Amino acid sequence: MIETAPAPLSGGPVRGRLPGALRLLAPFLIALGAGAVVLWATGRDAFAVYGQLADAALGGGTQIADTLAATTPILFTGIATALAFRAGAFNVGVEGSLYVGAFAAAWTGFSFPHLPGAPLLALAALLAALAGAAWALLPALARAWLDVSEVVTTLMLNYVAILLTSYLVNDHFLARGVANSMSPMIAPQARLPPLLPGSQLSAALLLGLLLLAGYWFLFSRSTLGFELRLVGLAPRLARASGVDLRRSLVIAMLASGLVGGWAGGFQVLGVIHRFVDGFSPGYGFTGIAVAILGRNHPLGILAGALFFGILTSGGGMVQLVSSIPIDLVNVVQGTLMVFAVADLGRLGWLRRWAGRA
Amino acid sequence: MPDALQAVLAAAAPASASILLAAMGGAVNRQGGIVNVGLEAKMLVGAFVAVICGAATSSSALGALAAAAAGALVGSAFSLVVTRLGANEIVAGLGLNLAAVGLFGYLLPVVFGVSATLSPPGLVGLPLLRIPLLDAVPFLGPVLSGHDPLTYVSWMVVPLTWLLLYRTTWGVSLRATGADEEAARAAGIRTLLLRDLSTAWAGALAGLAGAQLSLGLVQLFNKQMTGGRGFIALAAFYFGDARPGLTALAALVFGVFEAASFRLQGGELAPQLVQMLPYLAVVASLLVVGARRRRLRRRRELTPEPGR
Repeated sequence: MIETAPAPLSGGPVRGRLPGALRLLAPFLIALGAGAVVLWATGRDAFAVYGQLADAALGGGTQIADTLAATTPILFTGIATALAFRAGAFNVGVEGSLYVGAFAAAWTGFSFPHLPGAPLLALAALLAALAGAAWALLPALARAWLDVSEVVTTLMLNYVAILLTSYLVNDHFLARGVANSMSPMIAPQARLPPLLPGSQLSAALLLGLLLLAGYWFLFSRSTLGFELRLVGLAPRLARASGVDLRRSLVIAMLASGLVGGWAGGFQVLGVIHRFVDGFSPGYGFTGIAVAILGRNHPLGILAGALFFGILTSGGGMVQLVSSIPIDLVNVVQGTLMVFAVADLGRLGWLRRWAGRA
Repeated sequence: MPDALQAVLAAAAPASASILLAAMGGAVNRQGGIVNVGLEAKMLVGAFVAVICGAATSSSALGALAAAAAGALVGSAFSLVVTRLGANEIVAGLGLNLAAVGLFGYLLPVVFGVSATLSPPGLVGLPLLRIPLLDAVPFLGPVLSGHDPLTYVSWMVVPLTWLLLYRTTWGVSLRATGADEEAARAAGIRTLLLRDLSTAWAGALAGLAGAQLSLGLVQLFNKQMTGGRGFIALAAFYFGDARPGLTALAALVFGVFEAASFRLQGGELAPQLVQMLPYLAVVASLLVVGARRRRLRRRRELTPEPGR
C-alpha cells in the first residue's frame, strides 16, 4: 500500500507544452489573480493594494533592507529543499530541521555567554547544522535501506520538531520573567552583525548568498554534484555508471537538513536573537515552493526567494498601514504552490490560446 | 483511577470523532491512489461553512450538511488539479492548506470584524444524544452515550467504509485503480473519475469533521481550530495502511492521546510530548513495515523458488 518510489513533482506524461515564458509566469499570474479575487470580493481595490505592497517592499533603502531580511530564511530553505530535490529525494521536512537548528543556535547563544564572539558564532552555526542534519538522518536511512518513502516520514517529523522545541523552551529553557514560549536572549556577541542599522537585515543574507554560490558550484562544477543530479534524473543510469545510490541519497538528505538547520539558526542569530515557540510562519514550506518555482536553479531559487520576501515584507507593511491582514499573502502563496506543480499545458484551450497569442 | 480513565475515554469519543471522520475519508482516497495532505484545509472549510450556514438557518443539521457539501466541492477542485493537471498531490495539498488558513485569516477581520474567533448570533450547536439503554451501563454508559450526533456518525462511517471498499463494485474498482492504474484503465475502469469521486468523498467527510469541531465540540469558528487534526488523520490512515479497521483504531487511539493531553495541561507530563505520539507512531510503523518487507525480500532472494 505504501508507495516507495519518490513522488514525481508533476506526474504522467507531458502532453503538451506551453511557451516557456507563459509556463514560468502562469502560476504567479493565477496566484496573484486569486489574491485579487479575494480583495475585490471584499470591496478592496486589488491593483491599489498590490501597488501599496510593492511600494512598501521596495520603495526605499530601509524597505528594501527589510525585504532582503524577509528573503534570507526563505533563501536558505529554498536551497535546502532544492539540494534534496536535485538528487530525487522529496524532503518536505526542512521546516523540522529549521526548528531544531534554531533551537540549537539559540541554546548555544545563551548557554556560553563567556565565549568570545567568533568561536561562539562558529559553535552555534555548527550545532545548528548538526541538529538540522540529524533531523533528516532517520528519513534518509529509512529511504535508502528500507525503501520507506521520505515524504511521509519527513512531513510527520516536522510536527515532532515543532512540539519538541516547544516542550524544551516552555519546560526547560524559559526566559526569566516571561510566562511562556521564549528562551533567554543569546549573548550580544553571538548576534550576527546588522548590515543596515534600523532594519532587520543581518549578515545572514551574505551567508545565504555564499551558500547559493556553493550550491551553484556543487551542481555545475563538481563530481559529487553531477552524481547527485544523475541519481535524481536517471537512477538506473546512475547505478549502471557506478554511483552508489544509497550514499548519494543520504548525502543529499543530510545536506538538505543541514542547510535547513542553518535557515533556523541564522534567523535566531541574525534577527530574533532567542528561540520563540512556533516562530516560523512556514519558512520550510515556502522553501518547497521556491525550489519548484525556481526549477532548482540557483538564480531561480534567488528570484523565488525574493518574490516571497517581497510578499512577506510588503504584506506586513500593508497590514500596518491599511489594515489588510497579511494572511492574504498566504492565499497567494498557497495558490502558487498548487499551480507551481500543475501542468497547465494539459489544458488544450490554454495551449491553443497561447499558440495564437 | 477508574474515574479518571472513564473521564478520559468519555472525552476521547468526541475528541477523536473529527480525526476518525477525516481519516476514513483519507483511507478511501489513499486506496484509490491519492495521498490527501489537504484534509486540514477541508476540515477548516467545513468548520467555517457549518457555523455560517448553521447560524443562517438556525439548524445545526443543515450546517453540517452544508459543511459536507463544501468539503466535497473543495475536494473535487483539489482532485481535478491532481488528476487532470498532474499536480504533485503533496505540494498541492500543502498549498491548499496554506491558502485555506490564509483565506480565513483574511476574511474574519475584513468581513466579520473579529480577529480569530467567530460566533454569530443564533448559532445552535449539535444536540447531545443520550442512548436510552446504553446510558445505564456502568462505566461504559458515559463513555459511549451522551455525545453529539456526528460522533455517532463517525462510528457508523467505519463499517460503511469497509462495505464501500470491499463489498461494492465501486470499491473494488477504486482499489484496482490505486493498485495499478494502467491495468485498471485497460480493464475499462474510468480511473480518473473514480479518483475524483474518492477525493470528493474524502472532502465531504473532512467537511463533516470540521462541522463536528465547530458545532459539536464547541459552538464557534476559530481560524486555528483544526489544530493539525488533518495531519493526525493522515497519520492514522498511514498507520492503518488505509485499511478501515486499523485506521479507525489508530484514529481512536490518537483521539485518546488528544483527550489525555488536554487533561495534562499544567501537570507533570508535558502535553507536547503526548501530542507527538501520533506522528512518532507513524514513523515507527513505516520503519517496521519497511524492515519486514526487506526481510521478506531477502528471504525470497535466498530461497530458490519451488520446482526448480
